[in-house]
Amino acid sequence: MNEKLKGYRGEGKKILEEHKLEIWDIVQIKTEKTNYEGIILPRIEYSAPNFINIKLENNYNVGIKVSEIQEIKKIGKKEALYKIPEKEFPIDKNLPNLKLFGTGGTIASRLDYTTGAVIPSFTPGELYSSVPELAEICNLECEIVFEILSENMKPDNWQKLAERVVDTANSGIYGIIIGHGTDTMSFTSTALSFMIKDLSIPVVLVGSQRSSDRPSSDAALNLINAAIVAKSDIAEVVVAMLGSSSHDYGLIHRGTLVRKMHSSVRNTFRTINNIPLGMVQNRKIKMFTKDYNKRTKKETELLNNFENKVALIYSYPGIDNDLLNFYIDNGYRGIVIAGTGLGHVSTTIYDSIKRAIQEGITILMTTQTLHGFVGMNVYSTGRELLNFGVIPGANILPEVAYVKLGWVLGQTNNPEEVKELLLKNIAGEFLEREIPIAFNYNIDELLKSKKL
Amino acid sequence: MEEFDYEELGLKCGLEIHQQLDTEKKLFCRCPTKLQGTREPDFTVNRKMRPVLGEMGTYDKAMLTEYEKGMGITYEGYNDVVCTYELDDTPPFSCNKEARKVALQIAMLLNANIIEEMHVCRKNYLDGSVPSGFQRTMILGTDGYVTLESSKRIRIDILSLEEEAARKIKTENKTNFFRLDRLGIPLVEVTTKPDINTPNECRECAERIGLLLWSTNVKKVLGSIRQDVNVSIEAGTRIEIKGVQKLGWIPILINHEISRQLKLLEIKEELKKRKLDHKDIPENPIDLTDTLAKTKSNFIVKGIKSGKKLFGINFRGFKGIFGKQLMEDYRFGTEVSGKVKLISGLKGIIHSDEDLNSYNFSNEDVKKIRTKLESKETDCFVLVLGSNKEVDKAMNVLIHRVKFAFKGVPPETRKALENGNTEFLRELHGGARLYPDTDSEAIFNSEEEIKQIRKNLPEYPWVTIKKYSKKYKNEERLIKDLIFTGKLKLFDDLIELYPDNPSLIFTTLLETTTALRREGKNIENITDNDFLEIFNLLKKKEISKEAIEELMKLKADTPEYSIDQIKSKLKIESIAKDELKNLIVEIVNRNSKLIKEKEMRAKGPLMGEVMKKVRGKIDGAIVSKELENSIKEKIRELK
Repeated sequence: MNEKLKGYRGEGKKILEEHKLEIWDIVQIKTEKTNYEGIILPRIEYSAPNFINIKLENNYNVGIKVSEIQEIKKIGKKEALYKIPEKEFPIDKNLPNLKLFGTGGTIASRLDYTTGAVIPSFTPGELYSSVPELAEICNLECEIVFEILSENMKPDNWQKLAERVVDTANSGIYGIIIGHGTDTMSFTSTALSFMIKDLSIPVVLVGSQRSSDRPSSDAALNLINAAIVAKSDIAEVVVAMLGSSSHDYGLIHRGTLVRKMHSSVRNTFRTINNIPLGMVQNRKIKMFTKDYNKRTKKETELLNNFENKVALIYSYPGIDNDLLNFYIDNGYRGIVIAGTGLGHVSTTIYDSIKRAIQEGITILMTTQTLHGFVGMNVYSTGRELLNFGVIPGANILPEVAYVKLGWVLGQTNNPEEVKELLLKNIAGEFLEREIPIAFNYNIDELLKSKKL
Repeated sequence: MEEFDYEELGLKCGLEIHQQLDTEKKLFCRCPTKLQGTREPDFTVNRKMRPVLGEMGTYDKAMLTEYEKGMGITYEGYNDVVCTYELDDTPPFSCNKEARKVALQIAMLLNANIIEEMHVCRKNYLDGSVPSGFQRTMILGTDGYVTLESSKRIRIDILSLEEEAARKIKTENKTNFFRLDRLGIPLVEVTTKPDINTPNECRECAERIGLLLWSTNVKKVLGSIRQDVNVSIEAGTRIEIKGVQKLGWIPILINHEISRQLKLLEIKEELKKRKLDHKDIPENPIDLTDTLAKTKSNFIVKGIKSGKKLFGINFRGFKGIFGKQLMEDYRFGTEVSGKVKLISGLKGIIHSDEDLNSYNFSNEDVKKIRTKLESKETDCFVLVLGSNKEVDKAMNVLIHRVKFAFKGVPPETRKALENGNTEFLRELHGGARLYPDTDSEAIFNSEEEIKQIRKNLPEYPWVTIKKYSKKYKNEERLIKDLIFTGKLKLFDDLIELYPDNPSLIFTTLLETTTALRREGKNIENITDNDFLEIFNLLKKKEISKEAIEELMKLKADTPEYSIDQIKSKLKIESIAKDELKNLIVEIVNRNSKLIKEKEMRAKGPLMGEVMKKVRGKIDGAIVSKELENSIKEKIRELK
């Protein structure tokens, strides 16, 4: 698309072209009713074609209907010149060295006041100038691994990231922070949990629910909390994000038990089927459990083979065989079903399930209730599915099961080994028991009543 | 009040008027727009705002100042009127159509050009009053005008539709508390061009815009309209005065501001005459803590004991400057001290143009200070007591402000005070920091809608006022009062119900209501429906007009009772004329001695006696006439 007329189409584009005008030109416009003066702004994609966007002298933006314009005249140009501030990140020999990997989320960013666009800043210097507290906690190295929206993340991104983490962990760094978009953060935390064996240091995924260009952003506090966790003794892949709507404490979630549970609130991440590992508040960590892996001096190992031909399907009333047949016909090797209740599907798809298993496709059953275990010996449907060869996924979350199945099929082709690996607790994804408060714990209340 | 030659001064004023709209729901979420008063909140959320990097990659200064104060924010909310949107935990929903329609109506009444495609913008708020840190606002009209009585037109610059901020409850333990019930109520902001040239013109313009707003569907309660006035004179600078609560304040505030600016300009001239230069202002204050270790001044001793420091600074040749009056009860010293207080959090400063004895400084103390600061009689010294950090901030502000005295009037946003003075609120911002709201789509005011609304525009309130005043033979002021108390429609309804006595309706809605409010009655408890019921009883002759006030009082005190119930409680029944006659005859007979003595002058005391028994049951005028006849008869009889 023409950058000089970005977003313009139809009449809007025509009038600008006719008058040899482009974005950032300052123009005077005369309409039937009034006069305007302002800067031509880019238009958002898919917006109405018959308007042009102007930033008025009073800084307000308005759309002016092309058919009302009687005269339009260029009187100048405003060049958008932005410099990102960079202060040198101070090095303190008494503080540990941490590594921050960027994957495309905007932990620190600045605003383009004209378009409202967010300009990410990422060098240590840029981060230091927006979150100076970091220099009191650690020495920071930064590396951009890739720059993509988290919804566009693919298994090969996990593989690459796992490789960078393993290399870095073995190079003697004290802890790793990964800036990540929140949408698929728990997929990545799960993938890293499986792909990295004998992790010797903390690997902390962090993001923000309110972007850092707004004064109310949770980004800085999350980043500070993540740095504290990355210096701790927790040698696991964890997610560290705010634990309540208040800018108060962060929670530390195990990478294979965490899930984004709300589309927008700050405390969207919850540990499912258990309580979080611990919390971080005022730069101090408080663990809720002793059951976590501690730092070691061991060499960290990379096991990042992954089978991409794996699918995750959701069972619903009315589901039919076409769905599974599609995957079978297209060469898929594994299917995770998010079944209803204790791990059920409608008997209407028995045929395709049987066919899939006959053709050597692994089917792993989880529950769409997210909370609780599948229990496939309770009702006849469960027993029948087991009999067909469906593997029960206990408490593991559907998304975790999807990642695990892809990873397991990447490790081995042997059906016996596949089954064995699937049912083995590799990274804390399986729970032996569900504590009663796991279903609806409220950390605020547990803290208030000193139960943590 | 001081008057000036405004033309010669080149006075220019502009108005910014904010008005809440009376929609059922908020602007960008579907919460009801009901304020909860003092009700205990259901939940609280604690936040901190961080400064954001600005356009040029630097932090906004005002934001940084706010951040460095280290203040926390607590938001208090109610589950029934606050949702996750107000908490900045959910993106905005579509713009409230009802609000947009009212705003369009206002734009048309202001003869504004309507923006057909509106873009929501964000305006940064630094003080915590909006949880997101910015207000969502959009421009809906430009280039309008309002006409004054003299047919002078005051141009309207813009009309915007935006969200109301949260209401501040208190500041406690370094935390600002805000209630979120008010946040997000639709608000229009009307901004005029600086076309206003006299204080009275400014008052009239504010009144006209106010009347115009109140003739549409806006919230008609105390605090739903707020006015800011911009004042500048040619030799001075532009000052923004915030929070003008009453129209009557406007001329006084403007005159005081003119006085302040002129006096500041006099100071500038005086300093020039004294051959002083801003470069002579010292940069480094001097520590006087040890020097005054043995002072008799109690609060200094106490302060030093608690670890505070006393610092002094000398301004050469400044004698009399700090003591110079700028406005009534407001000296240059007050001006400087106000700014120091606000920014440093200290209680104030001490300067040598004041009576130092009132601080219990001995002559010996003053001598010591003068010596240490090398301060001569023709100088002025200033003392500041506080922690190192506070003194640092205070001295910084002080030095900066004194330096500005050489330039004249610093551009500021000031807060209106009830006595007509103003105090420093913050530095005047350049333009508002506005940038596109990337969370919302463009909003359209379609030609169809515009046409529809234009067809049903209400008439201009000043036309209504003239009409009513003529029709009901009443002062225009009373009609204005009806509009500004939000009672015009009720008035119309009451007239329709009870057309016999318009002036009684005026009295009831205005005088009686005001009197009861002054008595401390909660008259908000009397609904429009209650008034209608009262006048219905009056119409059915079940009560007399004397009973109205009593009914209103009780309704205000016990809103849980209906007017009917209150009526029975008061045992108000209408009394028949015969009954009245019998009662009067009985009382007149009982008092024949008094009548013999005083003749017609006995009417006063007897009237009181009769009224005691019939108050509220029958019109006093009837009683008076009946009593007069009866006494006359008695006098004849006695003769």
